[in-house]
Amino acid sequence: MTKETLHVLSADGYETKGHFGPYGGAYVPETLVPALRELEEAYLQSCQDESFQEEFKELLQRYVGRPSLFYEAKRLAEQLGGARIYLKREDLNHTGAHKINNTLGQVLLAKRMGKKRVIAETGAGQHGVATATACALFALPCVIYMGEEDVHRQNLNVLRMRLLGAEVRTVTHGSCTLKDAINEALRDWVTNVEDTFYCFGTAAGPHPYPTIVRDFQTVIGQETRAQAFNELGKLPDAIIACIGGGSNAIGIFHPFIEDSEVRLIGVEAGGTGNKTGENAATLCLGEPGVLHGAYSYLLQDEDGQIVVTTSVSAGLDYPGVGPEHSNLKETGRAEYVSISDQEALEACSLLCKTEGILPALESAHAVAYAAKLAPRLSKEQVIVVNLSGRGDKDVETLAQYIDGGKNHE
Amino acid sequence: MSERLKEVFKREINGVTRLVAYIMAGDPSPEASLRRLKGLADHGVDILELGVPFSDPMADGVVIQAAAERSLSARMTVKKTLELVREFRRTHQTPLLLMSYLNPLLRYGWDQFVVDAAEVGVDGFILPDLPWREGEGLRTRTKNRVGNKLAFIPMIAQTSREQDVQAVSQVTEGFAYVLSRNGITGGEVEIPANVSQFIESLGNSLQIPRCVGFGIQKPQQVRALANVCDGVVVGSALVKTFAKLDQAGLEEQDLILQEKEVFTWLASLKK
Repeated sequence: MTKETLHVLSADGYETKGHFGPYGGAYVPETLVPALRELEEAYLQSCQDESFQEEFKELLQRYVGRPSLFYEAKRLAEQLGGARIYLKREDLNHTGAHKINNTLGQVLLAKRMGKKRVIAETGAGQHGVATATACALFALPCVIYMGEEDVHRQNLNVLRMRLLGAEVRTVTHGSCTLKDAINEALRDWVTNVEDTFYCFGTAAGPHPYPTIVRDFQTVIGQETRAQAFNELGKLPDAIIACIGGGSNAIGIFHPFIEDSEVRLIGVEAGGTGNKTGENAATLCLGEPGVLHGAYSYLLQDEDGQIVVTTSVSAGLDYPGVGPEHSNLKETGRAEYVSISDQEALEACSLLCKTEGILPALESAHAVAYAAKLAPRLSKEQVIVVNLSGRGDKDVETLAQYIDGGKNHE
Repeated sequence: MSERLKEVFKREINGVTRLVAYIMAGDPSPEASLRRLKGLADHGVDILELGVPFSDPMADGVVIQAAAERSLSARMTVKKTLELVREFRRTHQTPLLLMSYLNPLLRYGWDQFVVDAAEVGVDGFILPDLPWREGEGLRTRTKNRVGNKLAFIPMIAQTSREQDVQAVSQVTEGFAYVLSRNGITGGEVEIPANVSQFIESLGNSLQIPRCVGFGIQKPQQVRALANVCDGVVVGSALVKTFAKLDQAGLEEQDLILQEKEVFTWLASLKK
């Protein structure tokens, strides 16, 4: 597909709304168009509404535990040599990942809009848990769609969602992972659109979701900026975050976009190899197209069919990516790289042993790239890794590899 | 726009209303879907909708989703779908619309796609993930390449508000595809009783005929809708019936005989 195709996809006058360069838009069934417009209006009003902003801020402080720590991983840096490494500890948030920042914001919106029911998709289960948590807090019924494959590999999170009062619906279509859970959630929404709020989990999907999710996650970057100034008296040299749909990455990147001296590095799932189907490295290996309501990079075959992806981490196992990342790639402002399953697992173990911190397998991808980059930088330079989630949910998956590893020792 | 499509709505109705029938290209094989297209055309279907398979059909229910999976297993592509239309056009003049998600078409290359589609005899498109307000760019490009040969069929949803209907009020080609209810294709959900009211409420705000789709499978439904619209769309019910035949493991001759009964059943819907 030529780049020329991208720009003319959008209608006149709609260019600035919901588009990031040529990417984004709202490619959804007509039935959802009024619902997205209603959501956009409610969101824009909430931005102007001080009481809404106050309530959100208060929840982040008193319920999530923000600001999250900005922790220098000295032993890790010592072992690697080179740059200093700081971890932005989103794993210490209530529910164990950055996802809660977004779900509290969206469920507050749902309440404001008078919606009676909340639905969501989940991959690793972190967004499902965070949505179920926010719904419990605001007494809204909640249905979570999750692919069958993910239900098996993240069973702990399935149980957590149920404990929180959510109904978990297993999706058995297609590849039985995140993309199929999104399809199913969209089908539910298009059917029950009048009274249902779709709490979208990542900075992808149709406009206005990429903007809303980014804005709710931007608190990560804003805090990082302030903490870096406080602690170091300067901005970091590089910020590294893992990317599935890209919400934790855009959340930490966004406040630094104008600071061209700060390298922004997104780390995708390299899975088991570079061939089609062996990875989920959408920006590194994909091409633009339309999936789940947005024009953005996709992993697709030569006929435009979406391909099955592979990653040890359920949260990164997605053939699409948020449209703002596609544009950051296009403009060259951010760099996108990939880390293999093996490298992520090793990084997970490294962080456990050097710092006593068990990262989520998703976040371990970012740690792995930091481990590659740090030795190439000087002692004066600073890397910030967005440690987007904790790894408790991955213990079963990790156990398989640890047992395998023992044989080699 | 295509003369074929224009003609259908000028012509006197044969039955209580016009019948639009949907099948998926390549389900379960290109040959079978071509034979069925011809059969539908020969048995009084007024407009054909031919589905292009996509791996992630978010606006479709389980029936069409399964059809797409079968079609993809048979290695159906956009290119082969266009070839199928070319074959069909050798013998038949029934207007034919392609129903497709955007991505396979974008991947083919939009400008080349519309040229090739017009050339093989496609009359227009129904694009379930291209709402009218997002489609201006692609409509303009299409017009630049092939003039008015290809119609874009706008959808009107139960949720559509005045501004959405207003946006298609200037359209003079094809017909408006009015969704009978919120949701995805197929399913057992009854068509709400107030659909007729909804269609009537569109009043004079549209210049084009209205066809109603989603969940239509019974003669009573068709008769009730016939008073307020210009045609009805039958999709999932038809796809499901053919799929049952395909799974019965019939000899080809028996299969063809049984298909004829399906055509007769379909035609009876508008009697």
